[in-house]
Amino acid sequence: MNSMKRIGVFICHCGVNIASTVDVEEVTRFAKDLPDVVSSEHYTYMCSDPGQELIQNRIKEFGLNKIVVASCSPAMHGITFRNVVKKAGVNPYCFEMANIREQCSWVHLDKKIATEKAKAIIAAAVTKVSLLEPLEEKTVSVTPSVLVIGAGIAGIQASLDIANAGYRVHLVEKDPSVGGRMSQLDKTFPTLDCSACILTPKMSEVGHHENIELHTYSEVEEVSGYVGNFTVTIREKPRFIDADKCTGCGDCATVCPVKYEPRPRKEPVLQPIKVEDKKVVDLILEEHSYSEGNLIQILQDINRKYRYLPRDILKFLSVEMHISLARIYNVATFYSAFSLTPRGEHTIKVCMGTACYARGAANVLEEIERKLEIRNGETTSDFRFTLETVNCLGCCALGPVVVVDDDYYSMKPGNVERLLRKYRNAKSEKTK
Amino acid sequence: MQRVKKLNSSNDLEKLRIEINSAWDSQKPCIAICAGTGCTALGAISVVDVFKAEISKKGLNGKVNTLVTGCQGYCEHGPIVVIQPEGIFYHRVKPGDVSEIIEETIINNNIVSHLLYEDSETGEKIVHEKDIPFYKFQRRTIFGDNCRISPVSIDDYVRIGGYKSLSRVLNGIEPDEIIEIIQKSGLRGRGGGGFPTGTKWKSCRKAEGDIKYVIINGDEGDPGAYMDRSILEGNPHSVLEGLIIGAYAIGANEGYIYVREEYPLAVKHFTIALDAAREYGFLGSNILGSGFSFDVKISRGGGAFVCGESTALMASIEGKPGEPRAKHVHTVEKGLWDKPTTLNNVETWANVPLIIDKGWKWYSNIGTEKSKGTKIFSLVGKVNNTGLVEVPMGTTLREIVYDIGGGIKNGKKFKAVQTGGPSGGCIPESLLDIPVDYDKLAEVGSMMGSGGMIVMDEDNCMVDIARYFIGFLKEESCGKCTPCREGLYQLYSILTEICEGRGKEEDIETMEDLALTMERASLCQLGQTAANPLLTTLKYFRDEYDAHIRDKKCPAGVCKVLINYSIDIDKCTGCGLCRLKCSVNAISGEKNQVHTIDPEKCVKCGICYDVCTFDAVKKE
Repeated sequence: MNSMKRIGVFICHCGVNIASTVDVEEVTRFAKDLPDVVSSEHYTYMCSDPGQELIQNRIKEFGLNKIVVASCSPAMHGITFRNVVKKAGVNPYCFEMANIREQCSWVHLDKKIATEKAKAIIAAAVTKVSLLEPLEEKTVSVTPSVLVIGAGIAGIQASLDIANAGYRVHLVEKDPSVGGRMSQLDKTFPTLDCSACILTPKMSEVGHHENIELHTYSEVEEVSGYVGNFTVTIREKPRFIDADKCTGCGDCATVCPVKYEPRPRKEPVLQPIKVEDKKVVDLILEEHSYSEGNLIQILQDINRKYRYLPRDILKFLSVEMHISLARIYNVATFYSAFSLTPRGEHTIKVCMGTACYARGAANVLEEIERKLEIRNGETTSDFRFTLETVNCLGCCALGPVVVVDDDYYSMKPGNVERLLRKYRNAKSEKTK
Repeated sequence: MQRVKKLNSSNDLEKLRIEINSAWDSQKPCIAICAGTGCTALGAISVVDVFKAEISKKGLNGKVNTLVTGCQGYCEHGPIVVIQPEGIFYHRVKPGDVSEIIEETIINNNIVSHLLYEDSETGEKIVHEKDIPFYKFQRRTIFGDNCRISPVSIDDYVRIGGYKSLSRVLNGIEPDEIIEIIQKSGLRGRGGGGFPTGTKWKSCRKAEGDIKYVIINGDEGDPGAYMDRSILEGNPHSVLEGLIIGAYAIGANEGYIYVREEYPLAVKHFTIALDAAREYGFLGSNILGSGFSFDVKISRGGGAFVCGESTALMASIEGKPGEPRAKHVHTVEKGLWDKPTTLNNVETWANVPLIIDKGWKWYSNIGTEKSKGTKIFSLVGKVNNTGLVEVPMGTTLREIVYDIGGGIKNGKKFKAVQTGGPSGGCIPESLLDIPVDYDKLAEVGSMMGSGGMIVMDEDNCMVDIARYFIGFLKEESCGKCTPCREGLYQLYSILTEICEGRGKEEDIETMEDLALTMERASLCQLGQTAANPLLTTLKYFRDEYDAHIRDKKCPAGVCKVLINYSIDIDKCTGCGLCRLKCSVNAISGEKNQVHTIDPEKCVKCGICYDVCTFDAVKKE
């Protein structure tokens, strides 16, 4: 075995793809003079059978032990030529490709420059190959199983894909249930599919798949080892329930006196209800017997007292009445009588009933919007005025009608300025 | 004042009635001051206060009766004061007129002529209410009582015959017979659906279950309609009596009244009525010794139009959002809390005591073949006499708009009358001779609805009106079903494009297509009838749509993007008033020189058009 380097360079024309832009003959001559190059050839189609044969023959003839093929991109024929080299008895890792097509002949028009560049590319490849060491392919045994951390939709889908391909999967989820964020959503975008309809079959499958072992309410504690051979420690958090016997009927949850949230939500910092407000709300609740059926009336009383529904009071209601905050918001946002933001000192209501509309109420509304610099439904930044519309006050003879607090006015756009001045000049509640 | 003793029998009631009537001297002058919403907005409360003060001052306490009544109907001319027993009608009364009325009319039996109604055509002054055209052509079987009582006095109601029907019913008319009477009378729901009331009651009576409910629908969401409010504020006992009779007929022991949030006075008066009725024993256990027990709770709306729909209303009483449900299971079988429930409109209930009192034959003689009795309409808009009118079914629209309504304000030309609220349609001049009747109105694409009647003139743009109604419904749609929720949104978009000059020919077909889908596929009546205003305006006012789409013009001068304000150089005197009043400083000009409007700055608010006394501002 000769430890001397005997490099063979094979330059391809690639038909006219290379040859029309690179002077292949000049390049071949150049390569012959490079250090340790023993053979330098060019041929029309190096990847063709005769081309491959040419390489193999030269290897035998000259005892070549390192090969450079100057042709197309290794992505194209890298594997082809490596196999050729291997078949001829040379270590396939003592092989280098010089890309003088995609990176040279295809991107230049000037033959002189392209040829010089090709020479430089080949010179670099020759130097590199001369430094390459022969490598042996080894087979290492791999544990054919996968750890997937996180059972949101990504983890679930990955686990199913891998399991269906025949490998074992360990799926670890820190929450008591799989599903993740997608299980908290109503629809997906942009298809507007029902989120649960897509997710839940997969959730179920991942629990039953014979190749998947599901570890919920568990966390990965330690990982050691290497690719193909990891050793992982999983801590299963205490459920105090025998998972093999549990049927999920929920009877235990209904009697458990402890209210527990496994993943505490990040709520905006909520002030607890003030003492004086608690007294007021307690009275209202008593009057309506704390009954869920009276929710609307309870909210109306609160809305009337505070001029809106403060969030801390709604939260208090949810606790006292044992109904979810979402349900309370469901009602509070459905009915237009309720406001979730503080209202101004004076409420200006513009009647937009048909009769008033037919008499020009829209123009009156627009003029008020212009003068107060707010839109319908909003409150001025100094909290003096809230502007709303209302449908039919029953004073159609006065139309267009505007009510400010309890006072009725028959309005025209030209009178708006005067009306607003009247209330602006009156002392504000704050300064009284 | 009166000691209130519980009435344990019909006899007790009749004794009380005789007592009250003998204490009330009907020959004494009675000053009835209207304090309904319209008149109150015009200052009626001050008038009431001054009357009370003056009567005291002149030592007339005990020599005159005063009644602060609910709405008397002629809202255009408020504040109204009627002197009984003659029926002298004074209108537009101010606090300053009060002493003159007392001095002249009460003490000296003279008429104060400057407070009399003046016929706009003949100039003739009319003294008595019954001769005034507005009242003359009405038949106020229900509403007429508003003028005779104070709504917060149960004694007044008893005085004029109240609770007589209830007493008769409890004293010897079997529930099934009551239902038969209502059926034979031909009474149909006054809320808009027009469903035969007797049939509804019969189904509810037959439904299985021991617990049943009756509900008064006082949601009255149609913009422009305020009849129910005036009845609730002006004569709450009439509705209550009807409800109790109905409850007895159906077999319900609990009732509700659902009043919309915007009617605090109605809630107040009804609460007073309920308390008074309980004191007398018209509510509670063993009513008038009959063994029948019944009571009523008040439930207030939260500001949602859709809660006028019966299933949405019931959901609201249950404390939920007012989302309707499909009605293949009728509410008479499964309604409030899944129990058999009869829900009727305020005016429907108010008709019941009348029918029991006067008999079904008498009632069925009023009206047309299929629509019996009278109906109260709110006649509003561009008409001279706006107010609440009660006419027998079968009266033509023309009679209502012209004879009672006095024709179009300011001498403008009539264009359309809109009936039935957002579920109804616009009726053109050519169809004004249609009689007011459930079926006839439906035939032309509109409907009776709750009774709103809005008159429009040449200055109203029908495309804009269609857009207004669609916009209203879009905001009020509960959102549960796709055809209504999405359909209204799209219709509104297209109509806005048309009103802003970007309409296309194919838009009309698209809208008709959408309308058909909404009608067929929506869950409740809101979505099913939502396209009616659009479809009727398309049918009868197609030329306006064409003008907007093809010519990019608004013939009525309403749609802002399509009109321009400019100053006529021949008429402008340079007074500068428009420049002063313009809210965006778009008008420029020197004093006594012709002024100009900058079209870039002009926001088309119309203020200059309103204030110019020389008619120099043009709108085209």
